[in-house]
Amino acid sequence: MNARENWRVILLAIMLVSSGIVLFVPGVVGGGSDGGGNQMSNLQYGIQLDGGTRLRAPVVGMTAEDVDFAGQEQGQARQAMADNLSVPTRDIYFQVDRETGVGTVEVFNKSVEQSEVATALNQVGFRTSDGGQFSEDDIRDGVTAATRQQIVDTLDQKLAESGLTAGSARVATTAQGQNYIVVEAPNQGAEELERLVSQRGSVELVARYPGDNGTMAETTLVTREGIDSIGSPETGDSSPYQVPVVLNQEGAERFTRVLNENDFTTSGAGSTACGGAEKNDRGYCLLTKVDGEVASSHSLAPSFADIIRANEFSDDPRFVMGAQSRSEAETIAVSLRAGSLRAPLDTDGRQVYTLEPALADRFKTNSLITGIVAVLAVSGVVYLRYGEPRVAVPMVLTALAEVVLLLAFVAVVRLPLDLSHIAGFIAVIGTGVDDLIIIADEVLAEGDVNSARVFQSRFRKAFWVIGAAAATTIIAMSPLAVLSLGDLRGFAIVTILGVLIGVLVTRPAYGDILRSLSVDD
Amino acid sequence: MSKFEVPEVDYTRYSNRQLAAVPLAVLAVALVVLAGWYVMFGTPVSLGTDFTGGTELTVQTDTPRGEIDQAFEAEVLSTQQVRDPTSNNPTYVVTFGPETNGSTLNQQANNNLEPACSNPEDCEIVLSRQTVSPAFASGAQDTAILGLFVAFAGMSLLAFGLFRTFVPSAAIVISAFSDIVVPLAVMNLVGIELSLGTVAALLMLVGYSVDSDILLNNHILRRSGGFYESTKRAMDTGVTMTVTSMSAMAVMAVTATLFGIELMASIGLVLVLGLATDLMNTYMLNLSLLRWYELGEVTPE
Repeated sequence: MNARENWRVILLAIMLVSSGIVLFVPGVVGGGSDGGGNQMSNLQYGIQLDGGTRLRAPVVGMTAEDVDFAGQEQGQARQAMADNLSVPTRDIYFQVDRETGVGTVEVFNKSVEQSEVATALNQVGFRTSDGGQFSEDDIRDGVTAATRQQIVDTLDQKLAESGLTAGSARVATTAQGQNYIVVEAPNQGAEELERLVSQRGSVELVARYPGDNGTMAETTLVTREGIDSIGSPETGDSSPYQVPVVLNQEGAERFTRVLNENDFTTSGAGSTACGGAEKNDRGYCLLTKVDGEVASSHSLAPSFADIIRANEFSDDPRFVMGAQSRSEAETIAVSLRAGSLRAPLDTDGRQVYTLEPALADRFKTNSLITGIVAVLAVSGVVYLRYGEPRVAVPMVLTALAEVVLLLAFVAVVRLPLDLSHIAGFIAVIGTGVDDLIIIADEVLAEGDVNSARVFQSRFRKAFWVIGAAAATTIIAMSPLAVLSLGDLRGFAIVTILGVLIGVLVTRPAYGDILRSLSVDD
Repeated sequence: MSKFEVPEVDYTRYSNRQLAAVPLAVLAVALVVLAGWYVMFGTPVSLGTDFTGGTELTVQTDTPRGEIDQAFEAEVLSTQQVRDPTSNNPTYVVTFGPETNGSTLNQQANNNLEPACSNPEDCEIVLSRQTVSPAFASGAQDTAILGLFVAFAGMSLLAFGLFRTFVPSAAIVISAFSDIVVPLAVMNLVGIELSLGTVAALLMLVGYSVDSDILLNNHILRRSGGFYESTKRAMDTGVTMTVTSMSAMAVMAVTATLFGIELMASIGLVLVLGLATDLMNTYMLNLSLLRWYELGEVTPE
């Protein structure tokens, strides 16, 4: 054995040993902070092999680009847009470039048509950046990248706050340019995740009281910005459940001012018209609202009213947000901590995949067995064909080495394994063995190989075919690796990587092995 | 022990027309099937939930198969039993159309189906649920078609780039086309729906099937030696390759069917079909075209 001549085999051996370390030594990859401890390897499994839920949904909304904000007061314009379209102000969002004064207007409401948005923009006094009026064609479906990012960040926060720490959110784009928000939560059922994404989670405390002309008036008391810290949900006094919060200085001041100005601390204290999750049509009530819907309503206790009237609330600004059920209270707590989604997700257009961990475990074992049986079948046929263990055994071992290298790569980049990747592995074993058969037939043809030079020339000939075949496979798979089509993408990436590892590392090494077995020095 | 040998075919006994007739006839029948499907059902292949939208529930329940439909308010499109030797509980895959709400169906299954064991903690009724919205499904459909088209176009360009002559390159492209079309037609006939998994299998076919065609062209066009001698050598290697892959895929299809892993089972089956078609196309269609290109008209001896 000459180290210089067999450098490919040595390289393969080194790579196999490092793969073994990467795959099986605990904690080598990515800090190993999973805390699982019972894992056999460092591989990560996806939803299909570990159980859990994946949800994909588009964002509701439309965008007008290149809007000139010159001469507009944003707060007023936003209110005017909302009134014009009869939607809540939270459904209107502006992003303006400070230097140019040009930006985007987004509307997040399903009930609004594109033409209506164009009309509203014109009526409120907005112009396009080149001074024209807006038409229907200037309003495109979908929201801005910044909005999508805000949603992803907030969802990540929400997942962390609600204990789904392994969950994550990201943006995916289809070939048609549709953007989706993808949320994944390993080991979780669909219900919790669906509840989490079905609400935007804008929580506010609103004071509702008789206004000047006989109708009820509402003033926002506390929003997320006015809160300093948020407690855990607990059973409540005035509503079934509650979330204790501590207000910050500004929040406490606003709270005191609004309540004092609107008679809550005098005639309105202890109002009997409050309770449940309804809007009151008389009396003085504090409403906890989630996405504009009343979650609970309660009155201001007289003793508490005295403290506020005496301007002593700021010394100990503690308060509670009410809810009718524990899960609602948890939603409120999570929303207050993580913030609200800038735009809602379209629940009609969503895609859900959820799998019980028990079934996933069965998939994991069974697909492993299926893979092993397939490899045995390959070995059997190869052995029958060549009848010589010295050709067949290295062939099967080399094909398996490709899978080991590929698995190690997958572990290093922390790609979660799914069924589609396993299909990719099978494709790799298949093309791998095909290529090894080409090499073996070419090298062993026409009697014994008696010199290294003959071997080289035959090996090179074989490699032309292998290279051509590999190129076709890579070309066939590359559109899928680029287009984001969920499952097929993983399959395509694994197949391409496998073919590359095969052509660059393992298949040449098999040539060397075959040479050392067949060339007489 | 019997050794697996690639059988030697005496090609001199057949004319080019005779050789090409069989694969072309099969291709024609396949195209007729696809056209018929298009006329009858509006799509050339039957589409699965991935491409039409809808909900698929995997439930494990003691409710008899015939009564599962009654648990749901929505119409059940199909109920298939999953046979998994590692689980004793009867398991079914229930499919619903695109106009259904996945979480409602989940609820109805939990409320109305009989649990498979006394302690509901131990055996959840709904094992898995997949809901695909129609919008997402039609997007997936477009992407899959685009993916297949680009893959095929890329492969064709590469084939022409490698051999730089029309007839041999065209032979590869026609064979590959038939390798995809024939399994599609058979899928219709045996009732396999087009899913993301089977699209993956079809793409694998583009890669696999071209291997043996390239090998054959390479041996005949770029190597010394007579036509039949080159063919013999190419067949020794090529048939071994295809048979090896086929046996692996057949075994995978059978095992995965037993275990109820639908994705792997359909990939396996589609590849077995495609590789069998490829054997025929490579060594009859592609070969006859190459012989015509190299030797011209051949009269059978």
